[in-house]
Amino acid sequence: MGASVGGPRQRGWARTTGWTAVVLLAACPSADPDPEPTPADWVVEVPASGPLPEDLADLGLFRWDPSTEEFTWNDGVVPYDLNSPLFSDYAEKARALWLPEGGAMTYDGNDAFAFPDGAVLLKNFLLPADLRAPDEDLTLIETRILVKQEGRWQAWPYVWDGDSAALDPSGEVIDVSVVGHDGEPVAFTYLVPQRNQCAQCHELDSDDGRYITPIGPKARHLNRDEDLGDGPLNQLTRFAALGMLDGLPGDGVDVAWDARTTGDPALLGDEDLNEAARDYLDINCAHCHNPAGVNGISSQLFLNHDNENDFNLGICKAPGSAGEGTGGFSYDIVPGNPDESILVYRMVTDELGAIMPLLGRSLVHEEGVALVSEWIRRMEPDDCE
Amino acid sequence: MRRLALVLALAAAGCPTAGDDDDSVPAEPCDAYAAPCTYVDADDGDLLDVVNSLTDGTTVLLSAGTFAMDNEVTINGVSGISLIGAGMDETTLDFSGMTVQGNGVFAVGDDFLIQDLTVTDSPKDGIRVEDSAGVTMRRVRATWALGPSSSNGAYGLYPVRVSDVLIEDSEATNASDAGIYVGQCVNAIVRNNLAARNVAGIEIENTQYADVYGNTAEDNTGGLVVFDLPGNPIVGHDVYIHDNTIRANNRANFAPGGTVARVPAGTGTFAMASRRVEIANNTYENNDTGDIAILSGLVVESDESAWAHAEEDLVGDPGVLTYDTDGDGNVTNFRTHDIWIHDNSHSGSGTNPDTSDIEVREFGFLLAVLFGSTPVDNVIYDGIGESAFDPDSAAGNSNDNHICVATSEESFINVDAANLAAVPQLEDTYRPPPPFTPFDCDSLTGGAIQLPSMD
Repeated sequence: MGASVGGPRQRGWARTTGWTAVVLLAACPSADPDPEPTPADWVVEVPASGPLPEDLADLGLFRWDPSTEEFTWNDGVVPYDLNSPLFSDYAEKARALWLPEGGAMTYDGNDAFAFPDGAVLLKNFLLPADLRAPDEDLTLIETRILVKQEGRWQAWPYVWDGDSAALDPSGEVIDVSVVGHDGEPVAFTYLVPQRNQCAQCHELDSDDGRYITPIGPKARHLNRDEDLGDGPLNQLTRFAALGMLDGLPGDGVDVAWDARTTGDPALLGDEDLNEAARDYLDINCAHCHNPAGVNGISSQLFLNHDNENDFNLGICKAPGSAGEGTGGFSYDIVPGNPDESILVYRMVTDELGAIMPLLGRSLVHEEGVALVSEWIRRMEPDDCE
Repeated sequence: MRRLALVLALAAAGCPTAGDDDDSVPAEPCDAYAAPCTYVDADDGDLLDVVNSLTDGTTVLLSAGTFAMDNEVTINGVSGISLIGAGMDETTLDFSGMTVQGNGVFAVGDDFLIQDLTVTDSPKDGIRVEDSAGVTMRRVRATWALGPSSSNGAYGLYPVRVSDVLIEDSEATNASDAGIYVGQCVNAIVRNNLAARNVAGIEIENTQYADVYGNTAEDNTGGLVVFDLPGNPIVGHDVYIHDNTIRANNRANFAPGGTVARVPAGTGTFAMASRRVEIANNTYENNDTGDIAILSGLVVESDESAWAHAEEDLVGDPGVLTYDTDGDGNVTNFRTHDIWIHDNSHSGSGTNPDTSDIEVREFGFLLAVLFGSTPVDNVIYDGIGESAFDPDSAAGNSNDNHICVATSEESFINVDAANLAAVPQLEDTYRPPPPFTPFDCDSLTGGAIQLPSMD
């Protein structure tokens, strides 16, 4: 049984052979007896300015076949993955990037890489029919595109219906039902963000004004091995070898915690626990909660992995204008006491108005809550009074 | 794609009708506005399609009627947008059916105008404008249909980190935090608004150069308050609160949490962690805890280091002030100083301080115990930071914080909060007759309040 996807429009759902196999397709020929046109038949066409095409297929980046449930990436479109991914209601992600002919990213040790005009970052969101089998029975809901035009990133949402996806700048609010971790049906609301909401996570402030930036393509997030059919290979090394990344240093590249290795956080050593939790908060919260986040400065809560100020990290910090978001608690983090920490409350609450992250969470990320709770529990106790 | 059913006003063409079934839509609305202008009809228009496809300088006209929204109305990446309804009682953006999180209207964009509409039942804030320059809210209402409830959104009208903001002729009711919340702004005019049945009616927080006048704050928990919060890199100063009516703010505190939950019911005005504030010519009536309190920031955060900022991190400017600093050269803003109170009228207040929660709202409890059956004085000063205190003689009191109560019709008490006995007694406080020496100054250090200068 596939995920039931309802809401404003009924959408078809798709049966897949599993995401692991899908990743491999980047380099493997499809085994489909009735194959899609080969990538050679289509051309990537990215407008230099203005809106993207109504039909995602017209960008020529990839195809999704709902009958075989396989992605086929066009030549030059390179899938990638992150060490610590953003939680999005247990949706699986399939990320890829494309650079124009001759274009390359420029390495940066801390921030997102610099990209040439015409660059495209894409992220597909697939919901599993059963959360206990997250790689199977996936429905492709939406594709979010970041495209760099005239020196600035633009964000565009596409929503899928069967084997095609249409540009949908106003986003969608979709009623969804899946089988939950306990085997019981879980109904929730899935948000495809409107175009302006993309900026709520992707926008930073600077002396030269606000600007949209990618979040994922940073050295420490990309610094991991992935197998695209050519054997396990470090993604940064691969990009460099493909001529898509300039300036990669030979060593000293930071690496974020690999969320796949977290397991039971209670079993992690203190140092690993701290790293795992800080990187979880970094990717899930710090896109707003950083000193340049348009949507996060107001709070003065900074959860970026390299913030070293305990107050701004939330320790014994009374919230500024959290409104109803406190859950009746007084401090963002009460060391040793996750159950009275606002940070945890906002991860577990389903109160509209109090949910964090701001967008894209209807379900509780149980593993994330366990991790952050254990991190707070293991701090030197302090009642903050 | 959803069908676009709007009328786009093209540069020279006025407002041609578009779509196959909306030929009844009048062409006129956009005629009065310069292009680009877009008219959206509540019956069939899709406002979200419009706001996600804006170009700079667009006027978006909303028809009369109710827009049933399932997601927030967002403005981002464009400047000079005007969102104009047919009137506060005519055009309603209704978010009661929203099942995802969001504000009502959420704008990030310079030169933004929102006018003549009502926003109701937003999960978060009613109208939130962040990190923008040049914002006007005129004849707008933010409310929640349930009436005062802790499940309502936090703020009604909420400009935050905005420079040059004007809020006028508007209403904010039933917010679970503040009705009108001017936060971390530089240059703000807040005039002729109504704030009612909120926890806090009007809040001016970490804001520089604010002129707040002609407003009515009634039936809130607290009426009209000014404060800095710890950790915010903008030091509030130069706030002029005059000619407002602040009455019967006695509603039981219904905040679900946060700093505002600590406000006792019956509070008229307080200035906390504030400097260069003038409170003049206001009408205070029937605020049961008290009319005006002057409080140190240490009352809400006793750790002075939480109030320290490296100078290079500061936003705004000090104006005529010299900022306080700590031993490490960091700027601090917990101290409340240079407060000038004069020519307010007071009646019926201070007769029943809020004793509903001794831990959370201890200040109300303190006043109740201290005053007993005596009405609480019009102006209550916590005295924190004064180098000398004497309950019995003017000469024994310092006025290091330059607190000025300049009108003999008002009454004044310094409760010396830092040294209160377990059961505080009025005889341990300094409660002078007029002219309240040494608190009888009648000007601010550095001269008159600097009013916001807006282009």
